[in-house]
Amino acid sequence: MTQHAIEVSDLTMSYGAVRVLRGVSFTVTAGEVFCLLGPNGAGKTTTLEILEGFRRPDAGSVRVLGLDPVAQACRVRERTGIVLQECGFPRQAKVGELIELWRGYFPRARPLAELLSVVELEPVAGRQVRHLSGGQRRRLDFALALAGDPDLIFLDEPTTGFDPEARRRLWSAVENLRGLGKTVVLTTHYLDEAERLADRIAILRDGVVSMTGTSGEVAVRSGLGTRVSFRTPTRVRGGAVAPPPGVGLQVHGTESVCHTANAAATIRTLLAWAAEHALGDLENLSVSAPSLEDAYLRLTGAAEGDAA
Amino acid sequence: MIRSVRLAARQAVLEQRSFWRSAEYALLTFALPLMLLLVVGGTNAGDDLPGTRLKLTLFFVPGILAFGVVVAAYVNLGSKIAVLRHDGVLKRIKTTPLPSGAYLGGLLASTVATATGIAACTGLIGWLAFGAVPRPAGLAALAVGLAAGIACFAALGLAVSSVIRSAESAGPVATASYLPLAIVSGLFDPTLGLPRWLSTLVAALPVKALADILQDGYTVRAFPVAALLILLGWAVAGTGFAAWRFRWQS
Repeated sequence: MTQHAIEVSDLTMSYGAVRVLRGVSFTVTAGEVFCLLGPNGAGKTTTLEILEGFRRPDAGSVRVLGLDPVAQACRVRERTGIVLQECGFPRQAKVGELIELWRGYFPRARPLAELLSVVELEPVAGRQVRHLSGGQRRRLDFALALAGDPDLIFLDEPTTGFDPEARRRLWSAVENLRGLGKTVVLTTHYLDEAERLADRIAILRDGVVSMTGTSGEVAVRSGLGTRVSFRTPTRVRGGAVAPPPGVGLQVHGTESVCHTANAAATIRTLLAWAAEHALGDLENLSVSAPSLEDAYLRLTGAAEGDAA
Repeated sequence: MIRSVRLAARQAVLEQRSFWRSAEYALLTFALPLMLLLVVGGTNAGDDLPGTRLKLTLFFVPGILAFGVVVAAYVNLGSKIAVLRHDGVLKRIKTTPLPSGAYLGGLLASTVATATGIAACTGLIGWLAFGAVPRPAGLAALAVGLAAGIACFAALGLAVSSVIRSAESAGPVATASYLPLAIVSGLFDPTLGLPRWLSTLVAALPVKALADILQDGYTVRAFPVAALLILLGWAVAGTGFAAWRFRWQS
């Protein structure tokens, strides 16, 4: 048995002349929730499809549960559950009937009643799939992925289009899976989702993994210093008062943020600047470790006027 | 192997249940050939085939039998698979360890059940309403014709599903590709006269070939070996094309 649920190294992949992956490497430890984070077009879904055995990379090696996901697809799929981004159901099948059919595909399936209860679909077990709501269909997706009691679950942007309550429910479902010792690999472009769910994050940008680690590690390793922020005073927003020089302050609407290696000095500078321009107390002044969002924006180059 | 067969059987049962659950779909699939049988039969039930003393019903009943096989195997299976592919159901199947053969086997078994059901209804109504009974010695020809016909048109259904690009066009493409052929093959009018070039062409296509074999089940003729070879040839061609072009996702 390998302790790594997934090992990939140096994956490259092109669609025609477009190089989608340019040497992607990472490992996923058994039992962790691993998140591939990145902007659209960074190669998240392609990477996932290679792990799922739907695509073969141009070069590089892939091991999923110690097996080759293409050559040993059947053995891998007996132990994996996959929730694809958009995937239909046979329209006239009934919910319970479909889950039951799916259970038959796997050597050690979870009981039907348990699956229905995990995704809270008991009340509609006898309903045809075409009459389900969008949320119920997503939960059925999840039930089918869990039918074989998989060790490894792939979720491709699982909460895209969800309302806040549905997202929270899916998050707790993922936390349940972690509690059961399952390995979960998910892609997302929501930072809060990655921060909330993932034991480790890989940030994918332009077909390479630019960083991996816990959300805290990613934030620190991005090279951003301590985050100092406060509510932007009205006169600064209006342009009547210029931001202080030398601290790299960025004004994002109502919030002003800077990153610094020396928080004490930066705060002294800010307070002196505020006093000089009679800005009063800097409202909501806070000092914190750099957030995943800051690190992500920096790494993916989305931040304008980079401070550092 | 046994497991695959069992899984295919379960798939077939689910397909049949789903088929009958969408009542309008199932009824139309069954009703179309049966209505045509009654309408066509009603207009010329007592006539003989011109120049012979053979009842016309002995030709158009097997003609409608052939039509039913084409509808069930070619149109239904072809458009169904195109819709399943478009909806992503085929891709979802690929996320499971279910062998592809077991899945397709289940769809095909369900198709065989539907086609056999339509053929049985057509034969029964042909007998009760028009007195068209297969000759006892022709039952073998009927069985061979139905088996080869279902195999051939299911293969062509798989093939056409591979070139249909969207769920919306599935029905129209399937219908437009068989209906004109069904008409010029004389399924609805056994006395239809065609220009020579067209009748030569039609003779090489599988609809007329199937009708010829099934007609042999009702009237005494020499068994049309050439027609059987044409059917089998199209079955091989359809299978080959499907194997080459079949995709699990759009």
